[in-house]
Formats: sequence, C-alpha cells, structure tokens
Amino acid sequence: MAHDERDTVPLHHSSQSDIDEIENLITASAQFVPSTVQPASIPVSTSPFIPSNLPAPPSKPAYVPPAPSPPPNPNRNANLGHPQPSLSGFGPPANTLTEPVWETVKRDLSRIVSNLKLVVFPNPNREDPGKALRDWDLWGPFFFIVFLGLTLSWSASVEKSEVFAVAFGLLAAGAVILTLNVLLLGGHIIFFQSLSLLGYCLFPLDLGALICMLKDNVVMKMVVVCVTLAWSSWAAYPFISTAVNPRRKALALYPVLLMYVSVSFLIIAIN
Amino acid sequence: MISLYNILLISFCVQPPGENYANPRICFFHVLFKAGALAFYILSALFSDSFVIIFVVTVLLAALDFWVVKNVSGRILVGLRWWNEIDDNGESVWKFECLDQESLARMNKKDSWLFWWTLYLTAVVWIFFGIFSLIRFQADYLLVVGVCLTLSIANIVGFTKCRKDAKKQIQQFASQTIANRFTSTIQSAFSVV
Repeated sequence: MAHDERDTVPLHHSSQSDIDEIENLITASAQFVPSTVQPASIPVSTSPFIPSNLPAPPSKPAYVPPAPSPPPNPNRNANLGHPQPSLSGFGPPANTLTEPVWETVKRDLSRIVSNLKLVVFPNPNREDPGKALRDWDLWGPFFFIVFLGLTLSWSASVEKSEVFAVAFGLLAAGAVILTLNVLLLGGHIIFFQSLSLLGYCLFPLDLGALICMLKDNVVMKMVVVCVTLAWSSWAAYPFISTAVNPRRKALALYPVLLMYVSVSFLIIAIN
Repeated sequence: MISLYNILLISFCVQPPGENYANPRICFFHVLFKAGALAFYILSALFSDSFVIIFVVTVLLAALDFWVVKNVSGRILVGLRWWNEIDDNGESVWKFECLDQESLARMNKKDSWLFWWTLYLTAVVWIFFGIFSLIRFQADYLLVVGVCLTLSIANIVGFTKCRKDAKKQIQQFASQTIANRFTSTIQSAFSVV
C-alpha cells in the first residue's frame, strides 16, 4: 500500500520539497560554513611566526561602503567573527580577510623591521638560520636595492641613468643567479627566502653608500666601505653556509662575496 | 579615473553589470596606481629624459599597485587572498583563501567585473609596451616594463588560482550537501516502508 501511495503522489511534490530542503540546507549551513569550508582551504597551521601585533577579531574595515549596500560588510564581519574551533585560538588566517587596511600596512611594516633585525643585527635566532627568515618578504629588499641605486646615481656626476640601471640590474639579476647557484649545488633553500636574504644583507652597503655620498674623502670611503662589506658578508654567511653541504660551502659563499665586493667597488669608484 | 577605464573597456564591447559599485573608494585605488604607472610611463617616455626618475616612479607605482591589489582590493572586492608560508619542515606552501559561500554570493558584481577586467587589461598593455621597447632596442625601458609585467602577472596567477580553488570548494560543498540529503532521503524512504 505504501508503494501505491508513493507512486500515485505526483512526483514533483516530493522532489519539490526535496529541492526546497536542499536550498534551505545550503542557506542555513552557509552560516556554519566558516567552520567547515575555511579549514578545508587552509591547512591547520598555527602560523607561529606571524608577528604578535595581529588584529583582534575583525573590526569594521577602514573603507566603509556607501549606505545603499550595508549587508555585505556586517555579514562578512559576523560570519568570520565566529570563534574558529579547529584553528588556533585567534584564527589569524580567517581574520586577515576582513581586517582593516591599516592593520595590513602595520603588519607588513613590522615584518620588514623584524626581518631586518633578524638578518643584519646580532641576535640569538641566527643560530638557527632556517627559522630566522621564515617570514620572508620582498618589500625590504626592494627598497634597499632602489635606495642603493638612487644613492649611487646621485653621487655620480655623469651618466646617472646608466649607473642606476647597472646597479639595479646587477643586484636583481645577481640575487636570482646566486639563489640558483645555491639550489644547483644541492642546497636546501627556498627561492624567495634566499632573494629576501640577499636583499636584506644589502642594508649595511646602503649605509656605506649614504656615508660615501655625504663625505667625499677617499680614505674615509675605503674604510667605511670595507667595514660595511665585512658586515654584509657576516650577515649573509650563516644563512648560505647552513643551506649547502659543508664541503660546498665555499662554492656557495664565494659568488655572494664577489657580488658584494663588486658593489663596494662601485661605491668607492663613483665620484 | 574609473570612468576612463570604463570607457576603454566599453569600447572593447565589454558591458559592465548595471548595478552600482559597492566600494567606490576601493575601486578607485585599485585603478589609480595601475593607471598612474601606465600614464607616467607613457608621458615621461615622450617628454622626459631622465631614465632614473621614470624607472623609480613607475616601478614604485607598480609595486604599490601590487600591494593594494593583493592585500586590499582582492580581499574587499572579490573576497580572495593568497600568500606564501614556510611550514615547520622548511617547505614553502602557497595558501589560497576565500570568503564563505554566502558572502561570496553577495559580492557586488560590478566590483568584481572591474577587478578582473582591469587586472588582465593592465598586463596586456604592459606587454604592448614591452614589444615597443623591444622593437626600438631600448634595454633600459624593457627593464621597467619587465618589472611591472612581473608584478601584474604575479597577481593574476595568484588570484586566478584562488578563484579556481574557491569554485572547487563550492562544488565540493554543494555535491556533499546533495549527497547527504540524498542518503538521508533514501534512509527516510526505507524507514517508512
């Protein structure tokens, strides 16, 4: 009997109710999606190396959209403001999607400063180079290369454009080639991490070039450049040497030193 | 600025959706640095002699545009984000992230239309400039174009991967929901019988 009932009832009735239920389910569980969809897309990693000035659960974004379309903003905030049981307590990856713009800027700037401190200045983390530059970024190196090019170009009395182009090209291409060199020697280093490292190690040479630009005494220039060259090499040494096989350390380090020496010659020779 | 881009796109017979922008300020900044880099490159190549200024300003504007698109307009206009992390084993991992389905569905169509079209259009225009400087054998201008093109392409690749990832998730979620619904319907059918 139940069979007949099911056969005689028009098919669209049950299928319609099923479709309705599916729709309700999708819209209803979209509320719960943050706890299912996002962990699927983000491997559960607690990202310990993100700096501690991470924003609290999302506040209103800096750019408020005009009145006619209020729903997207508060809803976005509401959906992602749920505590994330499967992520770490503060759920950093989820919150970075809705954080205000100033938070992003501050986070990036503080990352540049912390990377600089880790690479160039003495600190206990240099014992474990793999960990030190975990949070690599390319903004610091970009600014340092451009600054060096500008300083050299300013100091030059003739052919300023060529000096800048040569400095920039030499440093950028040099960083890429040196990284390839380390990788081809069988070293374990990540491409962008190495680019980032070589860029940050330019910081002492930047200072040297700045001082040489301000004071034009040849002897002083040589002393300053030698000191900054030694500083740059000291900064780069642990990262490169731990990345390769100990027998090939010199093969990996020599081109790096060569590049820094040639940049130093460029600084001294500019007048 | 946005209307100029609109005119350019409409001239290519591409129609924007009819609604209004939901985040006009973000759209403005999204377009501002791209258009600024292109405009500065064109005008200064015609009128100025100082290559250093051209290089620094153009590359600076392109880098600012990269940052704005990656961190601000990608998040707010289309709800996507990508970045790279290094895990505890020292391996590099590319992470792609999107908003949940409901918020994605609520995204303003015009915002995302502008986002994707300007992203692709800028890369195409830089390729044209690259071809021009190649024809003229100007290696230093090719350097500028190369840097700007690299930044544009990085963003395009990142966001396209992110969008594919998001679509895959939506499909998985929908099929999973339908599968759940189906099995529970069958179970209830059999339990009644």
